[in-house]
Amino acid sequence: MTARQPIPGPAVTAVRPLRPTRGAEPGEDPAVAEADALIEALSSRGPLSPGASRDPAVRLLSALIDDVDQRRSSVSVTPSA
Amino acid sequence: MRNVTEGCVADAKSGVRLATGSEGVAHRDDLKDLTSLAVQGDRTAIESLIAQLRPMVVRYCRSRLGRVSGQYHIADDVAQEVCIAVLSALPRYRDMGRPFASFVFGIASHKVADALRSSVRSAVPTQDLPDGPDEGPGPEETVVRYIEAEHARRLLSRLPDNQRELLILRVVTGLSAEETGNVLGMSPGAVRVAQHRALARLRAMAELESTA
Repeated sequence: MTARQPIPGPAVTAVRPLRPTRGAEPGEDPAVAEADALIEALSSRGPLSPGASRDPAVRLLSALIDDVDQRRSSVSVTPSA
Repeated sequence: MRNVTEGCVADAKSGVRLATGSEGVAHRDDLKDLTSLAVQGDRTAIESLIAQLRPMVVRYCRSRLGRVSGQYHIADDVAQEVCIAVLSALPRYRDMGRPFASFVFGIASHKVADALRSSVRSAVPTQDLPDGPDEGPGPEETVVRYIEAEHARRLLSRLPDNQRELLILRVVTGLSAEETGNVLGMSPGAVRVAQHRALARLRAMAELESTA
């Protein structure tokens, strides 16, 4: 059995344009806005804020993204102290 | 109407968006034009459309299906099937006001469910031996990444279906809050609240495991 020929297209690592940064809307829970900023950075494959890699959820999602995109890990394997 | 050529829309930095959000109006019009041309059988438009969709469909399938025998062949085959199904359905596609992303990820969701139900996972296709050195990560990094990614998949699988789908579409597939909302039938605001809850739940599960 041989691998199927892929449909021509850009590499899976192709990144779409960075979306404009969204500020917190009036009355929005700051925690919701903070989570959105974090998720937006992961989603757009942009830089994470310092310290974000200490968040276990971010580390897991980053690992999954790196694996799915098949790129080198962007998060240190060893948790920071 | 913008002159659509393969080069201009296939370029990742200027590529069309699947969005229908306020910041994506121009992109939405591009995609609508592109989809309209593709439905009419315009070969260049079809190629451009698939070139835009394929990376996101591959990410979605890989994140949902994971690796089999350490490889993504099954997920990539399913992604291929999704692209083929989209191509096959294009002539029958009618713009009923719903975003094209809903159509595509609706197909992807069904194909992934079919694959998960399928028990035929034993035959793993092999690629030809490479002629040159492998530029990818080394064995150690590959194993560590694999373990971490599988850990992520395992915890994601324990989330409620709607939270798991939301995080995969929003984070791994790379859709915006607006696009994710369009696929899931939620407002962008509802997506932001739900993703906050899903992230908090994932964090709690990860912390609980690390202390167990």
